[in-house]
Amino acid sequence: MTEVVATNQTILVVGGGISGMTAALEAAECGKDVVLLEKNPALGGRVSQLYRYFPKLCHPTCGLEINLRRLKGSRRIRTLTMAEVTSISGQKGDYTVNVKIKPRFVNENCTACGECAKAVTAEVPDAFNYNLGKVKAAYIPSAMAYPQRYVLDPSIMGTPEADKAKAACKYGAVDLDMKEETIQIKAGAVVWATGWQPYDAAKIQPYGYDRFSNVITSVEFERLADPHGPTGGKILRPGDGKEAKNVAFIQCAGSRDENHLRHCSRICCMASLKQTNYVTEKFGDDGKSTIYYIDIRAIDRFEDFYQKVQANPNVKFVKSKVAKIVQDEKSGNPVLHGVDTEGYNRYATEHDLVVLAVGMAPSVPAGMIPTEIVADSSGFIQLDEANGGLFGAGCATNALDVNRAVQSATASALRAIQVVNQVARAEA
Amino acid sequence: MSDLNAQAKEKYHNNFLKEVAANVEEGDWVKMCMQCGVCSGSCPFGPHWAHPPQEIFMMIRAGKREEVLTSDSMWMCTSCYNCIVRCPRKLPITHIMHGLANYAHRLGLAPKNQPTRQFAKLFWNNIVKTGRVNELKLSLGLYFKDGLASGIKTGMAMKNVGLGLMKAKRLNPMEILGGHGCKDIKGIQAMVKKAQEIEAKRKGFTAA
Amino acid sequence: MADQKIAAYICQGCGLGDRLDTKALAQIAKTDGKAHLIREHEFLCNADGVATIQKDIDEGVTHIAIAACSRRAKTEAFYFPTVAMSRANLREGVIWIRPEGDEHQETTQEMAQDYVRMACAEAKKLIQPTGNPTAERNTTVLVVGGGITGMTAALEASKTGYQVVLVEKSGQLGGWAGKLWKRVPFKEPFANPADTGVEAMAAAIQADKNIKLYLNATIAKTDGAPGRFNIDIATESGSVTQEHVGAIVQASGFTLYDIAKLPELGGGVNPHVVDQAGLEALAKAANGGAIKRADGSVVNSVVFVQCAGQRDDSGKHLSYCSGTCCNTSIKQAMYFKDQNPDVDTIVIFDDLRTPGNGEDFYRSAQKKGVTFTKGKVAGVTASGNGCKVTFNDLILGDENTTIDADLVVLATGQVPNSGVNIDPSKLEAETEAAAEVKQISILNLNYRQGPDVPQLKQGFVDSHFICFPYESRRTGIYPAGPVRRPMDIAQAMEDATGATMKAVQAIENAAVGRAAHPRSGDLSFPSFRAEGCTQCKRCTVECPFGAIDEDEKRYPVFNEARCRRCGTCMGACPVRVISFENYSVDSVGSQIKAVDIPDEFQEKPRILILACENDAYPALDMAGMNHNEYSAYVRIIPVRCLGSVNLIWVTDALNSGYDGVMMMGCKHGDNYQCHFVKGSEIASIRLSKVDETLKSLNLETERVQNYEVAITDIERVPQLINDYAAKIQEIGLSPFKF
Repeated sequence: MTEVVATNQTILVVGGGISGMTAALEAAECGKDVVLLEKNPALGGRVSQLYRYFPKLCHPTCGLEINLRRLKGSRRIRTLTMAEVTSISGQKGDYTVNVKIKPRFVNENCTACGECAKAVTAEVPDAFNYNLGKVKAAYIPSAMAYPQRYVLDPSIMGTPEADKAKAACKYGAVDLDMKEETIQIKAGAVVWATGWQPYDAAKIQPYGYDRFSNVITSVEFERLADPHGPTGGKILRPGDGKEAKNVAFIQCAGSRDENHLRHCSRICCMASLKQTNYVTEKFGDDGKSTIYYIDIRAIDRFEDFYQKVQANPNVKFVKSKVAKIVQDEKSGNPVLHGVDTEGYNRYATEHDLVVLAVGMAPSVPAGMIPTEIVADSSGFIQLDEANGGLFGAGCATNALDVNRAVQSATASALRAIQVVNQVARAEA
Repeated sequence: MSDLNAQAKEKYHNNFLKEVAANVEEGDWVKMCMQCGVCSGSCPFGPHWAHPPQEIFMMIRAGKREEVLTSDSMWMCTSCYNCIVRCPRKLPITHIMHGLANYAHRLGLAPKNQPTRQFAKLFWNNIVKTGRVNELKLSLGLYFKDGLASGIKTGMAMKNVGLGLMKAKRLNPMEILGGHGCKDIKGIQAMVKKAQEIEAKRKGFTAA
Repeated sequence: MADQKIAAYICQGCGLGDRLDTKALAQIAKTDGKAHLIREHEFLCNADGVATIQKDIDEGVTHIAIAACSRRAKTEAFYFPTVAMSRANLREGVIWIRPEGDEHQETTQEMAQDYVRMACAEAKKLIQPTGNPTAERNTTVLVVGGGITGMTAALEASKTGYQVVLVEKSGQLGGWAGKLWKRVPFKEPFANPADTGVEAMAAAIQADKNIKLYLNATIAKTDGAPGRFNIDIATESGSVTQEHVGAIVQASGFTLYDIAKLPELGGGVNPHVVDQAGLEALAKAANGGAIKRADGSVVNSVVFVQCAGQRDDSGKHLSYCSGTCCNTSIKQAMYFKDQNPDVDTIVIFDDLRTPGNGEDFYRSAQKKGVTFTKGKVAGVTASGNGCKVTFNDLILGDENTTIDADLVVLATGQVPNSGVNIDPSKLEAETEAAAEVKQISILNLNYRQGPDVPQLKQGFVDSHFICFPYESRRTGIYPAGPVRRPMDIAQAMEDATGATMKAVQAIENAAVGRAAHPRSGDLSFPSFRAEGCTQCKRCTVECPFGAIDEDEKRYPVFNEARCRRCGTCMGACPVRVISFENYSVDSVGSQIKAVDIPDEFQEKPRILILACENDAYPALDMAGMNHNEYSAYVRIIPVRCLGSVNLIWVTDALNSGYDGVMMMGCKHGDNYQCHFVKGSEIASIRLSKVDETLKSLNLETERVQNYEVAITDIERVPQLINDYAAKIQEIGLSPFKF
């Protein structure tokens, strides 16, 4: 049974991505006790699956490394992975939260030596790489995974594969008897930082994400560019493994669209501008990018980045929302149809690969949060007195870039501290 | 008709967007377009349009009244609804196109020899007469719309189709003499009249 | 240290016992490492192993060297806060990067033995820090600026239970927001302009007993450090009051870019061309009625020109986008439409930028009849009693479109009030355009390095910007609002709350002498031996955080609460008098010296790698996890930052027979990745001078190489190492072997 010490002066942070980690760390480094929950087996969230950040083109794992080191050095944060909130009751200053913890089948004895993965032959889709590849059914989620501990996929439970994993572990770390458990946590304030999920691209039918293998999403493209990704950092298209040197980026794939997401997702223009750099980085002058857009929203200090990309002769901009994609049967190339609205040129352009700059939808839309909460029409949490001691942070509150998500998370940490300080004063 | 046009111009001081909003079916949606171009790209007849829908919307906003109303573009719409389905702003583009065409027609600005417009007129005159479509007369009307010579030419070209239809009893040459009507032609005509009355009260149909 | 008792633990788990001769390692720990206690354990990180170590500590062990996995692994198990600890990385650093097989056994074992020697040598030189006994806790936050950002910071700090001193240079609270008629909405349905809320906030501040308000006041001097700032506040009357505060939120806001610089758009020459502030004033005067121009006539048509003097690549105006003006123009167009739908309102934009729910606001404006036209405005001229706007209509392709309007509003951008640019090398053309508003210092810091917070680009203050937006280069001083980045009210309020969080945290850190980010929780701080100091000032000049001042005799004065523990000062010091209890010239130097250098006849080169612990070292670690092989001749020492590398380490290494030195740090420049901002840049400047030294020693310049390494370089780093090892083979062994 997982033991957690928590009181009504504890801050519960739900979500272990950059926003949740930031909120937890900022509060803990201010002397507060924090319980940090993460649904996945490792912290880091969606940014840890990015290859580079805009605008500095630095690597998200670099910031993650610092945050993990802060976390390792802090005794005030209790981290629970594979944990999800099932209910929240009580009020500001006095919440009781039920948390369901899925079995990892590996305990803290794990040294991450990797013997279990060597022993197991079964493979499962690699969630960290958006299922673009496979991993062994005994796996460590990523090189940066924290806790640095293996996971056994539940699909091998009760099979000889599980026994192989157990037999391979010299340290008694594989525990096949682990069961799902539900624990109860007290908290004075809750920071809800469950982040975002890419909008389901298959719903944008004319783009054929579900029909054409060479139409992928922007988050998948990040994995292709990353040396830790399924292709070892080579931009190979999923259809036939061919190098994708001529890449189309379609903006507002789901965003700014009353049929899909009503809001502008803010980050996608910058993400595509950034990704044109990947194409240039990997292929030099042979790499060509075309961005199909409505408005390029390179907001505030990001404008320079846009100007730099515009100066790249290998990047083309077409002001057009692409109408539809068809696949050339012979080459497997996607062919984009539409109209360039600046001058009305009708085009049918063939590319090696299409990257849909998919919009940001809240991972847990407000309606799915197991308590009443004030939200906007897209399901993002709003700051409202009526939410009591529950505060949204990061992309649970809006479509935000990393910088703004961290700001939001830092602000939410203060709001949570205000609640627990109030509790402390009342109890003093 | 040109009276109507002059009145409209006078009333809206050349604020064409307002004129369209007030007079064209679904015309008040025009202002909601954000110029993404997905409608133009989605139109299967797109290459045949001088001004695709989104350009028309921009022209309306820019006050290009004559250019829009005399254009044959909106007559190209075949009501496939691709644009409506894809429009991120949910503009009823198909309806707006028909609305614009209709408004141009009513103001007397629609291009005279635009085939869609001619077909629509033929079809209408044909059907209200007997309450049924007289296919033979409709076809012949179309063949001869550009004069005797081209009518004969088209007729000859379609000869085999016509004979085939006759063999299959799908075409009765006797229909040329007037053809048969529906049972209650009076009722139909009353319905049409009533419909016209209702329509006359709708947006854009009352005198400007 | 007389009572030093060192224990070395050799783990045999994870294949270490199979791949290495751990008996020999234990022997090395004893003979070379001079450990007092040596234990081998088959699984050191399990409960038994940890209990064994704890028991030894309880029985008097003061220093431990753990020879097992990387210092990044098993940190929960190996957590012994009461003793000094070093880690020999035998797993990720040795057996995982070396191939199996007899032919590799000798070099692999040598590698492990050296790491054991190094860990023992390091442990001996470490002192577990206990914090600064003179630390102070001052729970007052100074907020500079009484606009929406400053007011938010003040109210939030008070709500958290801290006191506030709020200083506003004008006679009233509200700042720019106070001049608005309405603000952009921030709640569903995002359809209509909303009340600014400024009056309610100002009233709340007046009523708050925790907030001490100074109006018509500026900061004459800021002295001290987090936890003990002394602030001289100068009021208009000429009096100066001193306040003592623990941390500072700098909410000095922005100035609107001057439209007089845009005469081609009618700015400053046509009375009917106004900026967004001008329009707010007209709307306020109209008070909900018809908006009138300066000449009293009602406006029936208005054109908004977006990006006026912004997004400019000519170097004449602002190069950036202010991010807020699209929404502001939409809001202002609604002022007209809400009052009279017949007013013609046209927004001419290039890219309409209404992120997030701004899209709803945009749609709402269209619904109200605001017309949006994609175009580039070429000019605004007088026409009759109004203006004629000429623009290139980008959609209809008409280059010379004209519109007549009663009034034209230029959406000019936000220029940050960031004070004096203390780094004149950063004066770019674009910042010159806005230079005059920045000549007046905001904080008047009595810091060695200058009176304001350093800027990065375009006059905005420097910070890590992406992952750590609040990490300004002056610890305990948190810029918030448009001084950091152009932003609107909603974002400024969020930003102010975040900055307040950091200010409160800085107060709590200072109170116990704890480091702030990125070495959060580090209780050590730099100290120096005054007797050796030559007053050369390098440390005071190079500190990326301006933590070090100079006393009247020009000795350095370390302000521990300003310090981020990067060690750049230690690296700078030519006489090596600066050190930390847990990181010193000696703690690294003795590791370098502990390595066993084979004589020249063995033909086994030794290459020292000084790797940044934040990026290069994790990259090496992950290369190990990936089993990416690299040379057995390298010995890697993680350093806090390349900035902390003292050149004595390099000369010592070369003198003691190392054949080469690789330095691995982070990318520097404007897009720097260094967590200490300047560390890697300073290191590369220092290293650029090493060539001379090498030549004087008659050594090839290749023997010292500097690399920019990113954390993702898991394939590249092993390659760099192997290439370098090959290079060393090529140029031959060092002549300095004994």
